[in-house]
Amino acid sequence: MSDSAQQDSAFYSRRQFFVVMGSGALAVATVGGIALTGEFLEPNVLYEPPNKFLVGTPDQYPLDSVFFMAKPQIFIIREAAGYFYTLSAVCTHLGCIVNWKPQEGAIACPCHGSRFNKTGEVIAGPAPKPLNHFAMSLTVDGYLQVDKGILVDPEVILKV
Amino acid sequence: MKLINKITAGRIWRSIFRTGLPSTNYRRSLVILNNFFLHLHPAKVKKSSIKFTTTFYLGGLSFALFLILTVTGIFLMFYYHPAVPLAYRDMKDLEFVVSNGKLLRNLHRWSAHAMVVTASLHMLRVFFTRAFHPPREFNWVIGVFLLLITLLLSYTGYLLPWDQLAYWGVSVGTNMIKAMPVVGDKIRFLLLGGNITGENALLRFYVLHCVILPLVLSVLVGVHFWRIRKDGGLQAESAGRLSEKTDLILGEKTNPRKDESLVHSNSIRSK
Amino acid sequence: MNDDHPVKVEFGDDAQVTQTRVAYVKGDTSIAVERERDEEVMTFPHLIVREVLLFEILLIALVLCSFLFDAPLESIANPEHSPNPAKAPWYFLGLQELLHYFPPVVAGVVLPTLVVVALVVIPYFRINLARESFWTGDVRKKFTILSAVVLPMNIPFVVSGAVPIYSCSAIIYSLMVLPVFLPRGRGILERFRQCALADWIMIWFILVGTVLTVIGVFFRGPEWRWIWPWIDGIYY
Repeated sequence: MSDSAQQDSAFYSRRQFFVVMGSGALAVATVGGIALTGEFLEPNVLYEPPNKFLVGTPDQYPLDSVFFMAKPQIFIIREAAGYFYTLSAVCTHLGCIVNWKPQEGAIACPCHGSRFNKTGEVIAGPAPKPLNHFAMSLTVDGYLQVDKGILVDPEVILKV
Repeated sequence: MKLINKITAGRIWRSIFRTGLPSTNYRRSLVILNNFFLHLHPAKVKKSSIKFTTTFYLGGLSFALFLILTVTGIFLMFYYHPAVPLAYRDMKDLEFVVSNGKLLRNLHRWSAHAMVVTASLHMLRVFFTRAFHPPREFNWVIGVFLLLITLLLSYTGYLLPWDQLAYWGVSVGTNMIKAMPVVGDKIRFLLLGGNITGENALLRFYVLHCVILPLVLSVLVGVHFWRIRKDGGLQAESAGRLSEKTDLILGEKTNPRKDESLVHSNSIRSK
Repeated sequence: MNDDHPVKVEFGDDAQVTQTRVAYVKGDTSIAVERERDEEVMTFPHLIVREVLLFEILLIALVLCSFLFDAPLESIANPEHSPNPAKAPWYFLGLQELLHYFPPVVAGVVLPTLVVVALVVIPYFRINLARESFWTGDVRKKFTILSAVVLPMNIPFVVSGAVPIYSCSAIIYSLMVLPVFLPRGRGILERFRQCALADWIMIWFILVGTVLTVIGVFFRGPEWRWIWPWIDGIYY
């Protein structure tokens, strides 16, 4: 016994070999199973509203106006100078829909009291980030288009 | 009466209920030991542990509420479609169309709130009576997870009516997950089955609420009870109030500080 | 043996009526058996009857409750408009109130995780199972350590303006310290003196949780502004 054990010490014994192979296979199967389950649980096709959509023509929006679009949850804002930008209406704190308060000139979140100014910067409350700005463009046939898939810097505006 | 006697004495009846109403202590213990549903109990219990003020029956209340929730929940499932906007219509149906639907929904809702309360109070009771002492440490950990699952059950059920209250309560919660570093977005995506709280989210919450979480809870409750049995039964008189008693089995005083393995509630004495 | 508790042994001829214990096995069993024997009663009927009664009383109470109060149901979910205020179920309102003071990472992830971890490890710190009073031994030293720990711990709460949390700390701290400066007495102050540190921490935790939840349920209105429920009504 001790002889053979010393002799084989550099190698696996048959039992060790099978134990290693067996638990290795089990580990691989477990990891594979978890990976497959994870993949399964992650939907590949989403039937959610599209990110890119048209929001009408520029002359529909008066100068110095804030227009809330409920379905895509955005504000289309036209400044007095005539340029456009699009703000997300989803609070960066916990995802409530913020409201534009014309009298106060601010955007307020009903859930946890965050407040933003007209360009989306945080002026009060627990919101950690300013409101997102979405990319805006003018199509060749003169319609305004918003792409919620593309975030832009607050400085980016659309001049018409 | 005669008929009843005849039935209960008959072969079929006795094949189902083996013990019958007991008249001796031996047969009283058989009632417990021979019954599948009761056999988690020991045949005898300490007098102090069935006193109301020892445990306030909070664990038992939580379990009873879980049973009520299971039954009422299953009934509600007969009339509920986890789909938008059907879910909300089913709620209205339960309220105004289905016979006794409103009662059933109320029962389910109030029991859920009550279970959160009793389970939390149960935890506090166990803490303040130091009932988590060895060898019951791990049972306390199981208890903490049971409380968490109770909260999760309550929370996943909250979305199912698909009304404003449900939708925004859940939206706020899932956005909290988003705040988790690195994995937050992924977990939220998997939980909602998408980027928004929509049809997929409702279905996933439904499956979690009706299948996965109750299953996990049942298994853990089983382990929780089994360990109570194995670790010496229900909580006896709380440690602080116990007067000094001798160990009848060993015939000598046990000193908990000398032998750690003997530490349990009754051997920790107030000097 | 203790004379106050004479050993009662049941004797009987019929083994089926009175079981007599024949032998005790002192060796290890798979069960961590209680070494001590309190007075025992048969599970059936004593415990079973109580269980059945408890269930019945509970069910009656719940049915009465369900007849009297209806579960809330608002209008159908509308992703385009958040109600004002948007409140989570009551058991999460403490958390939501925390979110008002701290960024989501802290209030939504770090603090709850800390609470769960703290709860899980409780039995593994074999702290003071005998529940000895905090004020045993060198009172002066303990007072210094307590103050040196409590005050810095509350600085983050003061900085972030979490009034409910540090007020609770202040209340608990004064309740802990107060008995030291007063002559030994009876009643409630003596109870405070006898209380163990672990219990104090738990009481602090319960107090903070309750206060935050009550504030979230009753004292928060539109835009999560502070309101007085008896003036502005309850927004829940």
